[in-house]
Amino acid sequence: MSKRDTGRSEVLAAGIAEPADQVPLPPPDAKVSTIACEYCPVACGYKVYTWPLEKEGGPAADENALGVDFPVQQLTGKWVSPNMHNVVQVDGRPHHVIIIPDGDATVVNVGGTHSVRGGAIAQKLYNPQTPTVDRLQVPLLRVRGTLQPISWDAATDIVAEVSKHVIENHGELAWGIKRYSYQFYENIYAITKLGYEKVGSPNHAPHHAPAEGDDVPGFSDTGIDAFSAAFEDDKEADVLFISGSDPYETKTVRFTTWMAAGGAKIIYVDPRKTFTAAFAEQRGGLHLQLKLGTDTALYNAIVRHIIEQGWEDKDFIEEHTSSADEIAQDGKWRRRMFGLSFEGLRAYLQSDDAFTLEGAEQITGVPADKIRQAAEMLTGGGAAERPKTVILFEKGLYWSHNYENTAAIGNLGVVLGSVGRPGRAISRMGGHQRGGQSAGKYPIDKSPHEFQGNKIEMDTDRWTVEGKTRFMWVIGLNWVGAAACSQQIIDTLRRLVLETEPQVTSEDTATAIAQLKERIDNGGMVLVHQEIYENETTEFADLVLPAATWGEENFARNNAERRLRLYERIADPPGEARPDWQIVAEVARKMGFDGFDWADSNEIFEEAGAASKGSRRDFSALVEKVQAEGRRGHDLLREFGTTGIQTPIRGDGGDLVGTPRLHEDLTFKTASGKANFVKADWAAVKARNDLLAPVGDELWVTNGRVNHLWNNLFDFTRRPYAIQRWPMNFLEINPEDASARDIESGDLLRIESDRVRNQVGEEIQGSFEAVAYVSDIVPPGVTWTYFHYPKSHANAVVSADTSLQPISLRYNFKLGRGRVVKIGTTDLRERMPFAPRNLV
Amino acid sequence: MLNEPRREHICLSPPSERSRREFLIAAGATGAGVAAFLIVGCGDDGEPDLVMLGYPRQRIAALSELRQGEPVDFAYPAGGEQNFVVKLGEAAQIGVGPEEDIVAFSYLCTHMGCPLIGQYKDEHKIMGPCPCHFTTFDLRHNGMVVLGQATQNLPQIALLVEGDDIYATGVIGLFYGAGSNLRDARVEVRS
Ligand code: SF4
Ligand code: FES
Repeated sequence: MSKRDTGRSEVLAAGIAEPADQVPLPPPDAKVSTIACEYCPVACGYKVYTWPLEKEGGPAADENALGVDFPVQQLTGKWVSPNMHNVVQVDGRPHHVIIIPDGDATVVNVGGTHSVRGGAIAQKLYNPQTPTVDRLQVPLLRVRGTLQPISWDAATDIVAEVSKHVIENHGELAWGIKRYSYQFYENIYAITKLGYEKVGSPNHAPHHAPAEGDDVPGFSDTGIDAFSAAFEDDKEADVLFISGSDPYETKTVRFTTWMAAGGAKIIYVDPRKTFTAAFAEQRGGLHLQLKLGTDTALYNAIVRHIIEQGWEDKDFIEEHTSSADEIAQDGKWRRRMFGLSFEGLRAYLQSDDAFTLEGAEQITGVPADKIRQAAEMLTGGGAAERPKTVILFEKGLYWSHNYENTAAIGNLGVVLGSVGRPGRAISRMGGHQRGGQSAGKYPIDKSPHEFQGNKIEMDTDRWTVEGKTRFMWVIGLNWVGAAACSQQIIDTLRRLVLETEPQVTSEDTATAIAQLKERIDNGGMVLVHQEIYENETTEFADLVLPAATWGEENFARNNAERRLRLYERIADPPGEARPDWQIVAEVARKMGFDGFDWADSNEIFEEAGAASKGSRRDFSALVEKVQAEGRRGHDLLREFGTTGIQTPIRGDGGDLVGTPRLHEDLTFKTASGKANFVKADWAAVKARNDLLAPVGDELWVTNGRVNHLWNNLFDFTRRPYAIQRWPMNFLEINPEDASARDIESGDLLRIESDRVRNQVGEEIQGSFEAVAYVSDIVPPGVTWTYFHYPKSHANAVVSADTSLQPISLRYNFKLGRGRVVKIGTTDLRERMPFAPRNLV
Repeated sequence: MLNEPRREHICLSPPSERSRREFLIAAGATGAGVAAFLIVGCGDDGEPDLVMLGYPRQRIAALSELRQGEPVDFAYPAGGEQNFVVKLGEAAQIGVGPEEDIVAFSYLCTHMGCPLIGQYKDEHKIMGPCPCHFTTFDLRHNGMVVLGQATQNLPQIALLVEGDDIYATGVIGLFYGAGSNLRDARVEVRS
């Protein structure tokens, strides 16, 4: 603390973040464009004002492009905070830019509300005067151990030649792609056109999983689309049942504008007593504070109680759910294997005392009376008029016991008939926006992996750890931090990429190609990392390709209510950085493939329209309309502004009509068109819990996101305002567990385990460091940490053994465990708040 | 650039004694400090618009009057703003007074401007949750957001103690609603 009184100059010298006390205002003739936020699945609408550096607007309404008098009034959505301003290059000339939530928005972030993440998104844009100065700008080749600049032509030659060599000599299964699943239709389309369609390799996985495939397969087997709801359903509902993610922290505006604004009672399921838990209780709802890993038992018990009381939606079940015979006819093996009729569900739930109120209390730790109350609130307890119920769920379910948890929550939705009608829905909340418009189909027939004789998607991490991947192209993610048992990925990459001979010793393209091919033939691997910033994965890369991103190219994407918007280019990409689709297209052409001659991202968007047909993303009608009228798809989408249009889109005469919610006709994505119940097998969950649970002095080490940060912090470590709050990773630990270990807030901790199951089922050592945040937000026995903080891999204590989740090959990220050891102290008590984060 | 004249036409009259006096009173410059100001234009009535050139020094409270956990309101720098000074009972970043625990902030939430009046939680030294979207600000750490949606710390008023007098000497951060704290100071110079 300062030892003397402080004037402003001393304060500034103390280096407090963002002390600006003024912000430039856009002049009336500033250019206005629209974009949606880059981060969470809400995708709030923003307006962008750009103008040359020499000019400036004034504080009177007629002197600025915002059309408001300063100071502006509260809740107008027209204020410009200093973090909403930046200086960027537009066509090579410096410009002011402000990016502010759209105060005129009537959808999503109505009235210009926003979160701490998106609100400061102007700081994302490249400006060498800010910490974004380290954006990747030129292709780099690792020569004699260090990354050296090379030309784009050389870089794409190397990728193409090495790829052809791998495919010809080692087969397409040895050639892999790991890529973000969400970073815009145009990029995903280009990447999957090459990976799925042209090369035809099943060695292809999204950022968060070792394998392609459905994240919520148990739920999808009900036949309900995972993103069927509209945000307005949250507001229409009488009861919200929220599980597996804290929406205030991670889907903020959906919570503040939709969930909290409608007066619904909230039943909130979470092992932690978060802000939303406290909020739910304060507003007359319930917090079901279950033990980690027990969701399936809890939902099964709620559903059993509903059925025992006769509180189910009988009409819906009668008319709209499948019989056992209909399920037996379904073309999908998973549905035939796990699908249940209503009678089948009742029989299963009655067969196990675990699903009585008392049995579930034993297992979940949630008092029987609260389980009963939840069942009553959800159904009205037999009242003539059923309450309208919306069920929302996310990763707490599918990143622990993937199939069973998502099946169990699906059953709750079906038994309540909560689907397809205003204020009655069941849906994922999402973790990021929905940009996964792929070209063609994942080549599952070529996958080497099966479940009981049925093909399932390839486990690319296991394949790599087994040494069978010879080339991996990592696009837009940090593989090392994102994979479970991170240290096994690190060891594997070090051994196969950096320590297998030969290493590249010359910038000469032909020499480099020859050396990389030779390494591959020696059993090694080549790693290409395409990114906007370096991260830990880059440390192992042979080749680094600089990508252009959000705000640097015109792109399209959906949010979690299927709202399609144009994300307009705002500023020049740094240096020679190129959009991912362009890089992929150039490599594909050099590999000899046709169909990659797009002149711009709009051409891909229009080509992708046909591929979207019949999906929840269907925008083919929009493309057909512009092509009939001789216009461009992106241009029409631009006219929809921040409102966008909800997919699937259909044409009605010359008009385009969006779809606020799916399943309004109460038909479902099964062979019978009716919804199924699905077996949520508690015995399978219990066996897995027994294997993964902490023993002795170990604690659960679970993880998630916090409000201030997003994903692997690629933008946020470069945002002083955000990183002042979380200067390093932290571990929430209950005061009881803390005092037993002599731990106080601000202490430096090591979280370690010597029995982390790796990708091939061996137990190895893993650890990470974090600062202690002592808080009763977590119960005794449970600690919680940020899920993807750079250089502090929460996943290092998470099992990567997908044989434990054989139906769906998802990691149980939420079920880490380890010993927590104090290894020192930090100065963070002076610099960072350790106050409670759940005050209501 | 921000302080440049914003209207082209010439004022009909120089600032009257009344507006000049009211401005200086509002700016708290009647005591030890002097607020410099600039005529930047004029209103429809021909009276000049005034803009402050620098933060004045203004007495806002007496040490002996502050009770722990009880915020005292004051306006600064121009007279229309809503700020508070509070004795936390625990040392704070840039806190003043013998215990380094006296801090002052704006009442306007830097998320969307809702007033935080009445929301101080002495148990945690936190302002909030904001009634609008639940942001909480840690007063020991420069008004940093503990959990919430504001894109800026709560603007902190720099303080100075002389004897029993607590003076405000500047503002760290932009007040909600303003484009510039000084230019857009909520000063009412005309009746
Ligand atoms: S709520 Fe989500 S989409 Fe909206 S501004 Fe925040 S991060 Fe962006
Ligand atoms: S105005 Fe305070 S949190 Fe939104």
